[in-house]
Amino acid sequence: MVDWYQKLAESAETGTPPAASMMVSGACVELTQAFDVLPLYPEVNALQLAIRRQSLEPILAAEEFGYASDNCAYVKADIGAYFKGITPTGSPLPKPALVLCNFVGCNTYVKWFEHVSVIMEAPLYVLDVPFLRAGEPSADAIAYVVRQLKELVVKLEEITGKQLDMDKLREAVWCSSQVEEYWSKIKHLARRSPSPFDAYFDAITLMGPLYVHRATREGVAFFKQALEELELKAELDREAGVRERFRLVFEGPPPYPHFRAFRDMFAKWNACAVASTYSTVGGLWEFGARHDPDNPFESIALHMIEHNVTNRNMQQRNEQIKRYVEEWDADGVIIHFVKSCRLFSAGQGDMREYFSRTLGVPTLYVESDLADPRYFSTAQLQTRVDAYFEALEMHKSARTSAHVG
Amino acid sequence: MRFAAGVDVGSTQTKAAIVEQNAGPVAFAIVDTGASVTRAAENAFNVACREASLQPADVGFVVGTGYGRYKIAFGNAQMTEISCHARGAHALFPNTRTVIDMGGQDSKAISVDDNGHVLDFVMNDKCAAGTGRFLANAAEVLGLGLAEFGALSAKATHPVKITTVCTVFVESDILSYLALGKKPEDIVRGVHLAIAKRTVSLARRVPLEPSVTLTGGVSRNEGMVAALEEVLGVPLQVSPQAHFAGALGAALHALDRVDASFESGVWRTAV
Ligand code: SF4
Repeated sequence: MVDWYQKLAESAETGTPPAASMMVSGACVELTQAFDVLPLYPEVNALQLAIRRQSLEPILAAEEFGYASDNCAYVKADIGAYFKGITPTGSPLPKPALVLCNFVGCNTYVKWFEHVSVIMEAPLYVLDVPFLRAGEPSADAIAYVVRQLKELVVKLEEITGKQLDMDKLREAVWCSSQVEEYWSKIKHLARRSPSPFDAYFDAITLMGPLYVHRATREGVAFFKQALEELELKAELDREAGVRERFRLVFEGPPPYPHFRAFRDMFAKWNACAVASTYSTVGGLWEFGARHDPDNPFESIALHMIEHNVTNRNMQQRNEQIKRYVEEWDADGVIIHFVKSCRLFSAGQGDMREYFSRTLGVPTLYVESDLADPRYFSTAQLQTRVDAYFEALEMHKSARTSAHVG
Repeated sequence: MRFAAGVDVGSTQTKAAIVEQNAGPVAFAIVDTGASVTRAAENAFNVACREASLQPADVGFVVGTGYGRYKIAFGNAQMTEISCHARGAHALFPNTRTVIDMGGQDSKAISVDDNGHVLDFVMNDKCAAGTGRFLANAAEVLGLGLAEFGALSAKATHPVKITTVCTVFVESDILSYLALGKKPEDIVRGVHLAIAKRTVSLARRVPLEPSVTLTGGVSRNEGMVAALEEVLGVPLQVSPQAHFAGALGAALHALDRVDASFESGVWRTAV
């Protein structure tokens, strides 16, 4: 990630390579890679500011400008950062050559990117991705996205002055397919007990590289090494008899401004996230889907429509979590409701009921925000988390004694 | 060691309970929390010990609960008020399946199994809407003491409609009804019904199964109990000790651990 920020800083100074602003979910980074265009993610900027505890200043600046208090805090952190000239690392970020709104699932994206385009005085291209209402995308939906991807190729050709090199595109798509394979294997390592890593809190360190380097050889090497290291760790943990006390599935993005405090609330109980939906924002690969170098455009379109959690409907999200609970052998589900995120949070009350009542899976629902530090109340969250584990512990011991007896 | 204690540090009052093995509760105590949570916890515990004619050292294990649980200097362990209210309500009424706890600063609904173990719970959002603090504020605007405020509700004939459950905005609602010449009892009843609706909608998020037991300080407010029963459509179980349910539950959890604490060498520091 340091390397990526460095490249962005170089691009800011020299204008090369050009950068394109994109959304993380359903990003067609394979296509930008084929043109050597750097991806620039406003969401990543917002979360980097939040985790470094720098998001409040830009959020307040955006509110002063007129954004409402319940607007998405990612939007306000990002937009306010442009107003204030703040960047996460302190080094400059380039002015995008293209603002590419690969709009999946959340319609906030459209307004957000319109604003970025106006503020940065950069051309906007809105790539409209149909929402996945039914089980699978229709042939028309795929063709519709492919047609727009081809329009985008023309835009990228104009910006870079280069023709699309199909071999280069296939190579980028191949790299993604390899990264997805490794990432999927890493996710499956968490099915072991103990899990060698936390698939929510630790996963964020692998999610950045997934967004930024997925379509490159460096990305392939990085994820290969990560898999090898985690396999080794899994072995060592097993030999040492390390055990997690609780295995959990997390839904929703983390409260970045209080990441450490939130993490500690679960660490205190020796609980480990064995799976999370948030780690599939950049792609849902653990159930077998991959980019396909033989069908580059179609497989990019499929990723945008089908293989990222943001564009999937509520039943599919529930089903995804249910599979994690069953196949990753989890004790319970934690839902983190994000106050300012309408897309991800809508329906989570029903989701809670589905898991706790219909399936009988102990489910905790807590609220704060992903970028606005003002919505986090440590004492109240701590009480909810502690109460959840106290109940879980009693049920576990009741179950154990029932088995023994 | 036959005795164990629970101390429940709430935002307005601190409660203590002492239980004896195979005998149940032997003493309860209540003090105002005031500015020092640590001192309030000590006071409540000492008063309960005196009440039971015990020396603090006679008590084998102390569990602290409530929002100030981590500030109790002499406790052996802490548990959340959710686990403690569930256990306490179950001890008071063993047929309890749902606990509604209304305290000074928050309200919660807990679904429990037949052992008093928590199955599910929901708590009100961060603000004081619909809690004891809200009622106290409304009573103050009307110039009534809390006891009068609760009793007056029964006299209402045409309860007003209070549309806010915001502790700050309710004040202007009440003042405008007074200006319209509405009777205080109708306003009081309106306030109780508004909170009851909010509390019941919260409680419906856990399986709201009978029997329903009300715990927490607000349980002493008869107007609130009547309003909750009306909105729920079922009678509530309210014990004279409902206020102590958290402390009692904590004491029972402590009793579970009395023997274990000796084995593990954990011991309470002197009070
Ligand atoms: S998905 Fe949520 S966090 Fe992301 S842009 Fe939409 S509202 Fe904001």
